[in-house]
Amino acid sequence: MQKQSLVSLLGCALLSISPWIGAVTTPPPTVKVDIGAAEPFCNSGVPPEWRDAQVIEGVKIQEERVCNPDNPADIAAFVKGTNNISMQTLMDTNLAADAITLSNDMDGDGDPDLIVIKLEVMELNGHSPDFPGVVPTYDIAPGVQPSFWVYTPKTRDMSTKSFASAEANSLLRMPSPAIRVEQGDVVWLVLENTHYFPHSIHLHGVDHPYMDHSGEGNDGVGQTAQMDVMPGQTKTYVIKPRQPGTMYYHCHVQPHTHIPMGLAGLFIVEENRPNNWVQTFNVGNNKVRVPSVAVKEKFSQEYDLFFQSADKELHQIPQSANDPRLIAKAMNQDYDITDATDDYYMLNGRSFPYTLRESLIVVEPNEKVKLRVLNGHTETMALHTHGHKATETHYDGIEQNPSAQITRDVYALAPAQRVDLELNTKDDGLHSYGQGLWMFHDHVERAFTTNGMGEGGSISLIAYKSFLDDKGTPKVHGMDLTPYFTKKYWERKIPVWQNWADDWGSLGQPAEGALPTGSVTAAVAPPPILSSTTATATPTNSSSGNSWGNLFTGLLLGILGYVLYLKRERVIDIAGRLTHQLRDKK
Amino acid sequence: MKKLLSVFIFSLLFGTYPASAEEPNIVDHTQLMDHGEGHLMDMDGGMVMGQNKDKLPAGCDKVSEDVKIEVHAGRKYSKPFPGTMFGLDKHEWRVKPCTRLTVTFVNEDNIRHQWMMHGLPKFLYDKGMFHLEITGPAKITGTLILPVEDKTYLVHCDMAQHMEKGMKGELIVGKGSGTFPSIPGITDPAIPDNYGPSTSQPKPVNMPNAPVKPGDQPSAVASAPNVAATVSGDSSGFFSGTLIIGLLFGFLSAPFLFREIGERCKGMTAADALQCTLKLLASLYNTLVRFVSWLVQRLTGKDKLLPKK
Repeated sequence: MQKQSLVSLLGCALLSISPWIGAVTTPPPTVKVDIGAAEPFCNSGVPPEWRDAQVIEGVKIQEERVCNPDNPADIAAFVKGTNNISMQTLMDTNLAADAITLSNDMDGDGDPDLIVIKLEVMELNGHSPDFPGVVPTYDIAPGVQPSFWVYTPKTRDMSTKSFASAEANSLLRMPSPAIRVEQGDVVWLVLENTHYFPHSIHLHGVDHPYMDHSGEGNDGVGQTAQMDVMPGQTKTYVIKPRQPGTMYYHCHVQPHTHIPMGLAGLFIVEENRPNNWVQTFNVGNNKVRVPSVAVKEKFSQEYDLFFQSADKELHQIPQSANDPRLIAKAMNQDYDITDATDDYYMLNGRSFPYTLRESLIVVEPNEKVKLRVLNGHTETMALHTHGHKATETHYDGIEQNPSAQITRDVYALAPAQRVDLELNTKDDGLHSYGQGLWMFHDHVERAFTTNGMGEGGSISLIAYKSFLDDKGTPKVHGMDLTPYFTKKYWERKIPVWQNWADDWGSLGQPAEGALPTGSVTAAVAPPPILSSTTATATPTNSSSGNSWGNLFTGLLLGILGYVLYLKRERVIDIAGRLTHQLRDKK
Repeated sequence: MKKLLSVFIFSLLFGTYPASAEEPNIVDHTQLMDHGEGHLMDMDGGMVMGQNKDKLPAGCDKVSEDVKIEVHAGRKYSKPFPGTMFGLDKHEWRVKPCTRLTVTFVNEDNIRHQWMMHGLPKFLYDKGMFHLEITGPAKITGTLILPVEDKTYLVHCDMAQHMEKGMKGELIVGKGSGTFPSIPGITDPAIPDNYGPSTSQPKPVNMPNAPVKPGDQPSAVASAPNVAATVSGDSSGFFSGTLIIGLLFGFLSAPFLFREIGERCKGMTAADALQCTLKLLASLYNTLVRFVSWLVQRLTGKDKLLPKK
C-alpha cells in the first residue's frame, strides 16, 4: 500500500513536469558495438580431398561438397566393417577394431548378413571437477555448449581431437548416428554402457521380437522387457527386421529426459537387394555417401535429417555437479518437464550458422533426392522447403499408395514421426522454382532461434552446386554472415541491424546511461535501452522503497509504543503474572 | 602419508582386492599385432601405445630397476569413494627415475577402460603417450621406461567422464612434481560439489604441493564472508534515520490520531468503524495528491497542463 501511494505520487509529479522537460531533451547517440572475434565460415581444417568422390577399400563413396564432410576412411569402415578393411584404413579412423563386424553371407547374395554393431554412450560438454570449463566440448553454435548424451560407434584412444584440445573427436557428436542395416539381416546391437547412468535401446518401429532366444527382454523398456543396462555393463539386442523403412531408436530409461539429452537416432532398414553393402553408420547424419542399392535405383542422393530440440535448464544439469547422485537427483526429482520450454533447435546436431558447414542439401537441376526426416522435438514440427514442393512418399517407414502421395511445401511431423520425402529439382515451377540457395527449416517460429535469438535454430539450405565454391561455402547474396559466427551474437550483445540501413546506425544501439543534454532531473531522463534501466534503476528503486518502508515501520512501532504506554498497568500486570507462573514451574 | 595409510586401511576394510575366484572370465590379451613405434593392437579392441622395453631415455645410464604392477579397474572399485562411478584399485604409484615399469591393466567391467599417461618424451613415445586399452573382462600388459626427471604423471581413463567420475591416479617418479586434484582418496576436487546446507562439507585439506590454481578453490570460500556482510548491513539499516523519524512521528501523533478516530467513530459497529477509517485515509491521500500537484504547478509557473494554442 505504501509503495503504491509512492508510485502514484511520483507519477503525479512526473505528469505535471513532463511537457515542460520534453522540449529540451535530446536522446543519446548511437554507439557501435564491437562484434569481437568471428570464426571464419569454414574452419574444419579437413583435407580438401575428403570432399571428393572416391573409392576406398573397394567402396564407391559419393562426393560431399560441404565445409565439414565425413572422413572417407570412416565411411569405408562403416560399409565394409572394421573387420574387413586394411589396418591403414582402420588407423585413419578413430574406431575400435571391434566396432562393426560384418560377416556370414547366409543367403549367398554377395553381402554380409550377420551384423554386429557396438555402441557406447558418451557425454559431451560434461562437468569437470578440475577446471571451470566443460569436456569434451561440442558447440552447436559459436560458444553454445549444452551437455548431451549420445550413442556413438565404439571408438578407441582419446575422446578429444588431441592432447592439446578439449574438443570432442569427430565420432563423438550430436546427434546419435543413423544406423543402417539390410532387410533380413541378423543384427546384434551391442550396447556397452560407458556412461555413469543406466541406459537402454528401444527400437521404435523396427521389427524386433519381444524376447530373444535366451529369454531375455529385447524391447529396451525397463518396466516390461528387461532391466536397464547399468554403468559398466553390456547388453545385446538381437533382431532380424522383416520390413524395410525409416525407423527410430532411443533410450527408454527415464525417456522424458534421456531422449532430449540426445540418446536417440534414426534406424533405417534398407530393402533387400543382391550385393547390397549399406553404410552401417551415418555419423552426424546429413548426406549418405554410400546409398543402398534400392535407394540408388530411384534417387541420385540420400540425406538423413534429424531435428532435435533442447531445454537449456535440462542440459545444464550434468554440468552443475560431478557427483552422479546429485546429477540424478536434479534430473529425476527436481527437473519438471511439464514446466519446461525448449531453447535450442538443432538439425543433425547443429544450429544455424553451423548447419551451413555440414547440413547443406547439395543438388543439381533434374535430380531426385531422398530425404529421411525424423522429428525428435518435444512438439510437432512443420518442415518447410523454400523454392521446392517435395512429395511425401513414406510415413513412419511405410510407403504411401503412390497415387495418393501428397506433394506440398510444409510437412507436418508429430514427435517421433518419420517422413520420407522425394525432392525433385526439375525446374517446372512446381517441384522447383529453379537454381539458388533455398532455405529449409521448421516453420514453428521458435525453431529458427537459438535461445530466442534469431536467426538460429535448425535453418539450413537446399544449395544448388553452382552457388557453392570448392569448399562448400554458399555464395550468399544477402547480408554479411560474420556476426553469426561470433560468440557475442549468441550472448545477445550485438544489435542485429547495426550495420544496416545507413552509416549513422539509425537502428543501432543507443549509448547507455548517458543523460540527455539540458535535462533537469535524472528521474525524467528518457528510458535508455531495457538492460540499462533494469541494471541501474533497480538498486535506487529498492533503496527508496526501503526508506519509505522504514518510515512506515517506525510509524507503526510508534503507535504500538503509545498503545503500550496507555495500557501500561495491564501490561505490567500480565508480565508479572507470567514471570510468576514461570517461577512456579521451576 | 597419513592419507595414504587411510586409503590403505579403507581398501582393506572394504575388501576390494580381487580374489582370483571373482574373475574367472578375464581374458589375457597377449596375441597383439605390432604396428611399429610401440603400437600394438588386436581385433578385440586390445591396444598398447608407447611400448618401450629397451630404449633408455636421455640421462638414464641404465634401467634403475624393474617394477611390475597390476592395476584393477572397474565399477566395483568406486565403492569406497562416494560420488564416483568408475574406479581403480589403487590411485598412487611411486617409482625411481629410469625404472622399467610393466603395467598389467585388468579391466573387470564389460566395457572399455584405459590406462592413459601423457607428458612422456616425444622422441621415445609417440605423442608423448603410454596407453593401455581393453574391453573387459580382460587384461593387457605394456612396458615403458620412465625418464630421469622427478615428475608426477597423470594416470587416467580418457573416455568421456571416466576420469571425472573416479578413474584417476598418479604415477610419481622420484620426488614427483606436485599432485593432481580430485584423485579419489588422495586429493580434493578443485571445484567441490555443493551438497546443500544440511550436509557437512568435507574440510579442505592442506596440500602444499597441489598444483591447484589459486583462483579456482577460493571462489566458494570467498562467498561466505560476503553473505555475512550483507546480513550485518541489513541489520544496521534497520535502525536507520527514517525509522527513528517514523517512530517519533508515530509516537507523538498517536494520541491525536486515536482521539480523532475515537470521536468520528463514536457509537459505530466495528465494520462501520473500519469503513470510516478507510474513507478517512482515502480523503487524506487525495488531499496530499492535490497538494503535490498544486505545489508542482506553482513551482513550474504554468497553470495548465496542455500547452497554450
